[in-house]
Amino acid sequence: MSALAAPGFPEALIRARARNGTAEVFPAPDAYGRELFGPEAYGTGSGSEHAPGTGPHSLGSGPGDSLDRARIVPPVFTPERLEKLIDLAREPEFTDVDLTTRIGGFASRLPLYLSAFGSTRAGSGDLALHATRQAARLGIPMVIGENMIPVHGYRRAGDAGRSALLGRIGAYLDAVPDGVGGIVVQQSTEDADSEVWNLLYSDPALRPLLETGRLAFELKTGQGAKPGLGGMTVVGGAEAEQLARRFTVRKVFDEPGERQLRCATPGTFTDEILRQQLRFMRNNFPRAGTWVKFHPGRDIADAARTAWAAGAEAVTVDGAEGGTGYAPRVFLGQVGLPLAECLRRIGRPDGCLLASGGMWEGGRALRALALGAGAVGLGRAALIAVDEDPEHGLERLVDALALELRLLISALGKYGVTAVGPEDLWWPDAPEHRSVPDPLGAVR
Amino acid sequence: MDQTPRTGGATTPPPLGEHLRSPQLRAAMLVQQEALHAARDYLRGEGFVELLPPLVGPVTDPGGRGAKALDVDYYGHSYKLMTSAILYKQASLRGFPRLFYIAPNVRVEPEETATTGRHLVEFHQIDVEIAEASREEAQEIAAGLLTHVTEQVFTAIPGVLAELGRDEAGFADVRSGKYDVCTHHEAVTRLLASGHPQNPDGEIDWAGERLLSLESDRPFFINDYPKGSRGFYDREDPENPGVLRNFDLIAPHGYGEIVSGSERESDYATIVTRMRESGENPAKYAWYLKEAREGIPASAGFGMGLQRLVRFLTGLDAVWQVSAYPKLPGVMAP
Repeated sequence: MSALAAPGFPEALIRARARNGTAEVFPAPDAYGRELFGPEAYGTGSGSEHAPGTGPHSLGSGPGDSLDRARIVPPVFTPERLEKLIDLAREPEFTDVDLTTRIGGFASRLPLYLSAFGSTRAGSGDLALHATRQAARLGIPMVIGENMIPVHGYRRAGDAGRSALLGRIGAYLDAVPDGVGGIVVQQSTEDADSEVWNLLYSDPALRPLLETGRLAFELKTGQGAKPGLGGMTVVGGAEAEQLARRFTVRKVFDEPGERQLRCATPGTFTDEILRQQLRFMRNNFPRAGTWVKFHPGRDIADAARTAWAAGAEAVTVDGAEGGTGYAPRVFLGQVGLPLAECLRRIGRPDGCLLASGGMWEGGRALRALALGAGAVGLGRAALIAVDEDPEHGLERLVDALALELRLLISALGKYGVTAVGPEDLWWPDAPEHRSVPDPLGAVR
Repeated sequence: MDQTPRTGGATTPPPLGEHLRSPQLRAAMLVQQEALHAARDYLRGEGFVELLPPLVGPVTDPGGRGAKALDVDYYGHSYKLMTSAILYKQASLRGFPRLFYIAPNVRVEPEETATTGRHLVEFHQIDVEIAEASREEAQEIAAGLLTHVTEQVFTAIPGVLAELGRDEAGFADVRSGKYDVCTHHEAVTRLLASGHPQNPDGEIDWAGERLLSLESDRPFFINDYPKGSRGFYDREDPENPGVLRNFDLIAPHGYGEIVSGSERESDYATIVTRMRESGENPAKYAWYLKEAREGIPASAGFGMGLQRLVRFLTGLDAVWQVSAYPKLPGVMAP
């Protein structure tokens, strides 16, 4: 190393690139399978510096996050509490808040669902199975990620074992109480090659879900952590060779014959392609629900409206704060709209809106609900919780979140999930986003 | 007499040996043999050449309504058993402008279709394709085919049909070629008016198709299905975006659809876009897209379900009764 210095410049990152080339575009491949990647993952490689504008508080779920900057503002006058008081014939308490709700056609005990983890190693192993069992016991829906079948396979005739996907479905079914929850299975471009939905729809193992109206399919158009890109994983040499027929596999880590980057495609969408794909889903799988998931694109409002108009029962928006999977560093801090901006652009939802991105506690969840979401998804937080305690970690995390939600909603003088609205938030730094009498209409 | 099939009355096939020995199957096979003979006779007379269809390929008709293809290991590659050889039929137009197959198909239908009386996992269709033809020309051939086959079966083996209780008078309209036409929109309107909850964007569902079929004494075409309800190869009407230049031919008296057909999309860029609209990855269809880029002729064509045709002629309850080796959706069978 020379004596040359560049104060104020991300010198260590530049030097790392000079040493390691394209490998520095991504988090260290050693971290794959052990770390979950969101906006704050930037710098987890060789350098600890953050590039300009990508610090831990610029977008992530830390104190500076745009959604978290809104304060939750209880009113003095509480007419809805009066209604509840009359109904109960006593003063209402936070325990009177009803958190049960409907999520994309499913009954759920809480305004929460378990987000998809994708096909990454962290998202498809034992942790995912533990998270599945606990989500089922909690009576909340679960989304299963894309690329599970192209990567991990499916049960074939004569196979004794079950694939990772069928394993999770079985575990969920074993533990979910009657009448609540549901399973949503994503399909992206590479999944369509494997005909994931077709395989599942005619599989007798899924009959209990179909018969109780608890199966939906989700068309995945993108993800929060890397808008505009398809799924990415790190694979070993042998696996890379096997997957090369179905995916693009690239050597970016400068390790000859060793780990490589496996890339799925993002899929091509126009409004007509989206509309027709949703119609096709409804026509082909009439007994399954139809969901769609968007990355935080700048035309998110148009996309969401198109999806609802085409009959989607739930539209999920994954804010740029979201993601568990492997992603290029430049995407983790710099690409995609923050969740708050997505929700503001969508405004008053035409149907069930679901939000994910850095969700782990009640305040953030409440802000998303107040901005129009019907429920919020837990991704990274769920995996961390089951990593901490495989048996009950997620249940405890959710218990805490649910208690916070009850406390907050009751403080707002309200007693149901759908009662909260943008009037319950105050934005210190954006006058146009402050609460107004009809904010959902006005902020559009 | 009552021509209505007792759908739901028929249960599942008996053991194969017993089924193969039944007088009912023997009668059905005599009708099938005569129908196939008549179909070939008619189509050859109209200038068609019979080709034998492929059984496996890298892709097949992506299908619809939850039916799926079976995968086979083909030298380490995943190939499909044909659910329909439509793509090969179109490619073959380059050498055979009027062609037909008697094509075996395998479709793993959703289990709920086991009781429609109209679905088998293994079945055959009379697959016809005509270069540079319009929908109306294809419909004329489909109607001519049904008329000719019915006429010849009643002429050749009247005793077999009489033993099955089939009344010649009930087929007067079929044999005279008097067929009606309505649009998908009109069909949906009729169903909704009668209290049937039909999705206006989709295929006519099985129950709806049966209701419409029961209301009619003569065969009729349903035209103009909405985009999103059929495969990417059905041509969108340039005059009427969102509507396909396609059709079904519905048999009367509750027997339902026996033919599906359309004008085909032949513009390369439109085919690729339509593949995306149906959720497909165009890369799967590389060989077909290469042919399309080089110029597959515009065409129209259709597939007539052979077992459905024979069931209509024989009046039996379910298609398994007119199949020598029936495989019902979701039911394990030899």
